[in-house]
This record gives sequence, structure tokens and C-alpha cells, in this order.
Amino acid sequence: MSQPETVTGPAAGASGIDPRSPRFGAGITAVLLLVDLFLALTGATTAAAVLLLAIALLFAWGAFAGIQRHPYGLLFRSLIRPRLGAPAEREDPAPPTFAQGVGLVVTGLGLLLFVLGVPLALPVAAALAFVAAFLNSVFGYCLGCQLYLLLVRARVIRRTA
Amino acid sequence: MNGFAAFGVLAALVAVATAAGLLWRATSGRARTVRRAEVVQPGEVGTEPFGGRATLLQFSTAFCAPCRSTARVLGTVADDLTGVRHVEVDLTNRPDLADRFSVLQTPTTLVLDGAGSVRARIGGPARAADVRTTLDRILGSDHVSA
Repeated sequence: MSQPETVTGPAAGASGIDPRSPRFGAGITAVLLLVDLFLALTGATTAAAVLLLAIALLFAWGAFAGIQRHPYGLLFRSLIRPRLGAPAEREDPAPPTFAQGVGLVVTGLGLLLFVLGVPLALPVAAALAFVAAFLNSVFGYCLGCQLYLLLVRARVIRRTA
Repeated sequence: MNGFAAFGVLAALVAVATAAGLLWRATSGRARTVRRAEVVQPGEVGTEPFGGRATLLQFSTAFCAPCRSTARVLGTVADDLTGVRHVEVDLTNRPDLADRFSVLQTPTTLVLDGAGSVRARIGGPARAADVRTTLDRILGSDHVSA
């Protein structure tokens, strides 16, 4: 996972992103994951695997190219943003980009286990990713705020300062 | 599984996630009084001095969007009150502090009195009104004892 040398504190500045954009994107992701879960549960396994792969690739796009260059961000800017007006504040793109990485890991692990012969991994990964995307979109919940700290405390992440 | 049962599973999942979200929103960001008074010195957390009367010690990480809004809220509250300072610490470099104060989420804010004793703890995005009430209580008892 990328670790830009982000300055902490109010470093977002004018170059930040509209905080509503990632939540809009998470809403689309949540709906897609719900559809995927339905496909997996009703036995349309191949369709479910292909859709989860597409969702994972979209997560990879956000995680590696940055949330600003995600297609849902373009959709938000062209369709939704003109109807909403200017945001009250701008936000650092690093947290939602990290969240995309979390989504990639969850859906990617699900696909990997599915390919290795664990069929249950498909609906479980879709359900877990759905809960995270849904809570992020509807309630503004930030899974990265918990997960990242767990990685720090497990000494997985260490920065030489 | 037939389509009908699958819809049932989806509905149950959405219901559980909604309940979890409502519970999270109701409980996060509330200031809780800390009874076990632990004392924090400025040198233990960084280089910034603490406030003479109170300090809002905020633990953050780089990948935490609500940390930024909380920093703005706490900064504004601290600026309005003399002797109150807002100090922000990035836990990425200080896992020892995360362990010591059992921080499970960011932002987590400790409200310290003038002596550096932990008087209250706010898990999640801080609410300005709640922080002011907590500070009033701490600064008020400060006056009484002085």
C-alpha cells in the first residue's frame, strides 16, 4: 500500500477533493456489491466472480491511481456536483485512497480464495465489502480509521521519522 | 438458494449494517469522563507545549478523513479559550502512545487539565458543543479548587 509523505494536520488545503465524491462512489460500490452477493447466493457463480473482479479492478484503480482519478469521481464531477453547489470544505485524498486499498484487499482475497476452491469466499467477501462501503456512504464511517491504526499497533506499518 | 431467500439475506444484511451505523453515529464523538487520572507530560507526546489550563490532545493518522475535521473543531474551540491548547499527534510514528492509551480508532482525543491529568476521552469525530461543555466542567472545577 502506498505511503505518501503526507503532512498531518490541516494540510488538505485548496487542492483537496470534495468529501461527497468518495461517499457517492462508495454508494455505487455498495449497490454493485449487493447485486454481486445476490448473484453469488442464487448460484450465478460465474457472473458473481466476474462482477467481483470488476469491482476489485475499480478498487485497484482508486488505490493505485488515487481517488481523484477514479471513474466514479469523474461521474460525480460531471453529473452530481453541478446540482449540489460548492462543498463546505475540501478533504485530503489520502484517506479515501487508503479505503480503496482496503476494498481491494478484501475483494481480492475473496477472489483468490474462490479461485483456490473456496466457493463461500465469494459471498463472504462481497458481504464484508458491502458493509464497509455502505457504512462509508450512508454514515460517513471511516473503516481506515480503525484498520490503519490496528496495522500501526501490530507494528506492520512503521515510518522512519 | 432461490431468489426469494437471497433477497431475505440481502435485506437482513442491510438491516444489520444500518443498525450498526446508527449505533456508531449515536455513540461516537461523545466525551466520556475518565476516572483513572493518568498524567501526560508534553515531552512524552512531542515538542509542542500544553495549555496552561487545559489541553485537547488529539491522536490522528494520515489516512483518517475525520481527523482533519476534528482538528478544525478542536482548534477553533481552543482558540476561543485562553490557556487552552490543541495538540495533534500522528500515531503512525508513535505506536507506543496507541498502546499506552489503548487507542482503537482515530481520531481519539484526550482532554487534559492544567496539570496534564486525563479528565475526559472522546473516541471518534469530536463535537464542538460537547468539547465546550467538557472544558467548562474542567475549567470550572479548576476555579473552585484554586
